[in-house]
Order: sequence, then C-alpha cells, then structure tokens
Amino acid sequence: MPETPSNPTATPAANIGGITTDLGSNALSPPEEGTTTEVSVARRLGLGFWLSVGWLVLVVALALLAPVLTLERGEARQNPDRSVFVLPHPEDTAVAGRLDGPSPGLWFGSDNTGRDVLSLTIWGSRISLLVGFVAIVIGFLVGGSLGIIAGYFRGWFDKVVSFVFTILLSFPALILAILITTLLGKTFLWISVSLGILAIAPVGRLARAQTLVFAEREFVAAARVLGAKDSRIILRELLPNVVIPMSALALLGMGIAIVAEGTLAFLGISTADGLSWGKQIFESGSNARTLETGPHAALFPIVVVFLTVLSLNFAGDRLREVFDAKELAF
Amino acid sequence: MYIIKRLSQMLLVVLAVTFLAFAAMNLLGDPLTNLLGPIAEADPADLTDDQREDLIEARETYYLDDPFLVRYGRWLGDMVTGDFGRSFKNNVEVRTEIANRLPVTLFLMVYAQLLAIVIAIPWAVYTASRAYRLGDKASTIVSFGMLGIPVFALVVLLFWAFAVRWQIFPTRFDDSDLGSRVWSLFLPAVALATPLIATYQRLLRTDLISTLQEDFIAVARAKGMSNRHVLFRHALRPSLFSMLTVFGINTGALIGGSIVVEQYFGIPGIGRAVIEAIIRDDFPVVLAVVVIVSVMFVVINVLVDILYSYLDPRVKLDA
Repeated sequence: MPETPSNPTATPAANIGGITTDLGSNALSPPEEGTTTEVSVARRLGLGFWLSVGWLVLVVALALLAPVLTLERGEARQNPDRSVFVLPHPEDTAVAGRLDGPSPGLWFGSDNTGRDVLSLTIWGSRISLLVGFVAIVIGFLVGGSLGIIAGYFRGWFDKVVSFVFTILLSFPALILAILITTLLGKTFLWISVSLGILAIAPVGRLARAQTLVFAEREFVAAARVLGAKDSRIILRELLPNVVIPMSALALLGMGIAIVAEGTLAFLGISTADGLSWGKQIFESGSNARTLETGPHAALFPIVVVFLTVLSLNFAGDRLREVFDAKELAF
Repeated sequence: MYIIKRLSQMLLVVLAVTFLAFAAMNLLGDPLTNLLGPIAEADPADLTDDQREDLIEARETYYLDDPFLVRYGRWLGDMVTGDFGRSFKNNVEVRTEIANRLPVTLFLMVYAQLLAIVIAIPWAVYTASRAYRLGDKASTIVSFGMLGIPVFALVVLLFWAFAVRWQIFPTRFDDSDLGSRVWSLFLPAVALATPLIATYQRLLRTDLISTLQEDFIAVARAKGMSNRHVLFRHALRPSLFSMLTVFGINTGALIGGSIVVEQYFGIPGIGRAVIEAIIRDDFPVVLAVVVIVSVMFVVINVLVDILYSYLDPRVKLDA
C-alpha cells in the first residue's frame, strides 16, 4: 500500500478523535476495509473547519487585493456608474448619499459621510489582520524561544523567565496594552509590539511546559548521548515538536489580537491615521441617530469582524482537538 | 502555611507589577514629558507661572531628582499611604477622582457577575442533564458565538437593538435613584456578562456531566429523588469548583470589558476615567489607575486561590 508510511501516525490520532465523538466522522467509515479506522485528516477536521478556512481565505485575499480593486481618490465621484466590482477609495466621501442602504455596486451601503462601507471594511481589515499577525509573530518568536530555553536549561534562567511570565499575566491585558501604547505612541508599530508583549507570556508558558515534557523523551536523550550540542537539540529535536502543535494556538491568538486591536481602535487609542475595524464600528455605531437611520453602516463591519474571529477560534479549536494538544488553553 | 506562601508570592508580584508600571513611565521616554506633555521640553522662558509650578511639582511628586531605585521606593511609599498624586491637566487629586469613579465600576462588575451566574447555572444544568442531545448541541453553538463576539461589537449590537430600534432601555446612564441605575446599566451589564455566561456554562456543564456519573448520584436517584432535586441539590455543589477558578481570571477580562462598556455607554466609571486621561495626555491618572487596577486584579486572584484551597484541600498539597 502506498499510504503505509502515513498509517502509524494517523491511527493514534484517529482513536483520539473517536473519543470526542462530536462530529461522528469515525462512525461513518466502514470497518470492513480491513485496517483500523483511517479517516483522512481533512475529513476529521470537519465541514465547519473548512468553512472557517474558506472565510479566512476570502478575507485575507480581499485584504491583499484591496489596492488592485480600489479606484484612485476622487475617481469614483467622476463616474458614479459602477456595475463591476470595483471599490471607491475608502476615504472618498460622498461617493453615495449619507447612510444609503445596500444596493448593487454599493453592496454594504454608505456611511454617515457617504463613504463606501464595503471599501472601508476591506481596507480596515488590512490593519486589523496585519496587527494581529505581527503581534502573534512577536509572541511566538520571543515567548516561544524564552519558553523553550527556560524549559530546556531549567535552573535560575527558568525561574526568572517564569516569574516574568507571571508578572505579565498579572496585568489585566487591556490595561497593559493601554499603558504601553500611551507611553510609546499610538502608531501601527507600537500597537503591534504591545499586543505582541501580551502574547509572550501565554505562548511562553505553553512552550516551556511542552519542552519540559519532550526534554524527558528518548529521542532527546539519544541525541545527547550521540554528542549533539544543546543548540542542535533545541533547534532540531525540540523546536519541531514544541512549536508545530502550537500552530493551533497561533490561530486562537490571532483572533485575540484582532479583538484587542479592534478594542484599542474602538477606544480611540489605536493608529491615529488609517482605518481599522474597531475605528469604523465606533464611527458608525456610537451615535444613536446614525444607528437609527443607517444601522447597516455599523452592522456590516460587525458581522465581518464576528465571522472572522469566530472562524479563527473555530479553526484553532478544531486543529487543537484533532492534534490533541490538551493543554493548549490560552 | 499555604496561605502564608501564597500571600508572600502575592506581595512579590504586587511589587513587580508596580515596579514595571513605574519603570515604564520612567524609562520609556523622558519621565517629565510623560507626565506633563510638551511643556516639559519647552523653553522655561515661554511658560506661564502655573506651568513652571507644575514642572516643579512633578519633579517633587515623582522624586525625579533622586536615583531611579530611590525614586521608586519613595513613590511606592506614597501609593501605599493613599497619595496618588494630582492630575496636571484638571488639577483634581487622583485619589478623589478614583474614589468618585470606582464605585460605579464595581457596581457594574458585580451586576455582570450576578447576571452571568444567574443565567449560566440553570443553563448548564439544563445542558448537562440532556448532554449530547439536540438542545445541548444548539447550546454549544450559541455559547461558542457568545465567547467569540468582541465586546466592542456586542455593545453596538445591544445598543442598536434594545435602545434604538426597540426603545426598551434608556440610551444614557441614569443615576437618579437605584432603580433607574439598575435599569440603565442593564445593557452594559449584559455586554460584560455575555462572555462570562458562556465560560461558566461550558465549564459547569463539563463538570456536571462527570459528577452525574458518580455513585452518589446513582444512590440519590435510586432513593427515588426527583430529577430536579438530584441536579440542583446533589450534583451542582461538587461541580462548582472549576467555575470558581476562572472567576479570578475573568476579572481581568471584566476590567478590559468595562473600559469599553463605560466608554461606549457614557458611564462615569474608572474605565472611562482612564480613556479620558489618555485622550488629554494626563499620565499621572493613567499610572495610578493602572497600578490600582492591576493590584486589585492580583489580590482577587490570590483570594480566589486561597478560597479554593479551603473548598478543595488537595490544592494545598500540590503547591
């Protein structure tokens, strides 16, 4: 059989999936195949997972393509007939009336100043997604390496790092982000850094815990007996085993970072220039009169944020269940 | 012994948290600029007398002429004795400001917690007693959505639906008497409680399902007790532990959430005070609130741990 190499790895995971029994995909596979129930990873992740991934791909693709899809400033006003899928510039006011409802060509309607809500939402996603991504990268780079090194070498370094993690977790998250951004400045860079700092402790704790487990395993001992240097053991033996199971955490963490950035923007302490989902929702959703005449201006971005965060959470949860990293609680 | 150990750990964490906040103010940029804004860098000749006095006072209040560690020690001494300094922007004592603002925030938080518990417990009992059936599966989806929705999106949704579209609740915070206070804080409390309800429901449901497998439940059922009696009298109490553990952790999320909720609904609490202070670049207020709120958070978590160790003595042995 050509699939034989994948068999030993697939079997234990399939058994674990069988215990959770939530989607019943194992029960569907007929036992008369001869081998133990072998369901492809793609099937085990379930329809919901692929729907979430599809939504995320759509959002990311639109965010990346935004400059291509968007007209120059002022261009939309000159030729208001837009039958194809092109977006007016997000900062162009009066491309439509004030708070016009959704219609073909103006799919999400217009906001209080006559800007195109869809264009605003897509451009807002660029900042929100990028901040979330950068924050998680910082969290994984700093937290991950600190956690692995602390878990591997133990001793005083471990004590210091663990204490720092405890301190970071002792601040209410938003309070810490507010403190850092007010001191360093409300720019894209510092928002990402402060959210990245928030991610360090949870990521680092988990990396440390995973390292403690794997450092006891035979293959690490074997590498050491063979005379491998510490750096080689960390990079070649521990890193793949510790970090790959944490990929589920990256999705969950990105959801948290996007919400955090949205919250800062909603409170008016995110990037002063530029658009973001939080800022857009605040602008269209903080005034009772605006909400009364044109709720769509706030509701469309809310739905987009909600679906995006939900997809990240759901996809992360499913990955976590399937790869059975039990202690991946964020 | 356990309590002493836990309390000394707490003291260490409080010291570190205050140190970090104070160090951030002193080391990230010029402390005087952080405290006073642009006037710290301006030519002294261009300043008014009031501004020059502010400069002198800021130097004195935050001991900026001392070496850093001495500075921290003296500032911490002031904080401990309740002297949080003075706002340089609107000349209010930070202590008075906090004393005025904190009660509303605490009221809101307790309100949200009560709401969460009152809704989550019956919901969890319902889902656990019908585990893996249709109602339970639908509940799982609902609670997943409740956990996922950002507070800033939820406040707008709630406000739009129940204050603008169907005008059931007032659009503004009304503090004229207790009744109107409770009524006008209902939507804010629901927004804060939503993620809590989902967390509590999920945890309690899991614990209840495993409790319901225990022998003493079978005994209770065999004695012919009603289903309701078994669920609420026998199964509920031993299942409440996990809920209690996250109570402390949730306080942190609650603090973050209440900043958003207060800002959006115009509730004059401590969260709104922070945002107002940030917008007018009033760092002494921000620093004081950050320190006070973080210390509160640490203390609550430790108290929950200690309470937990009383309820489940095995915890003491682990530590």
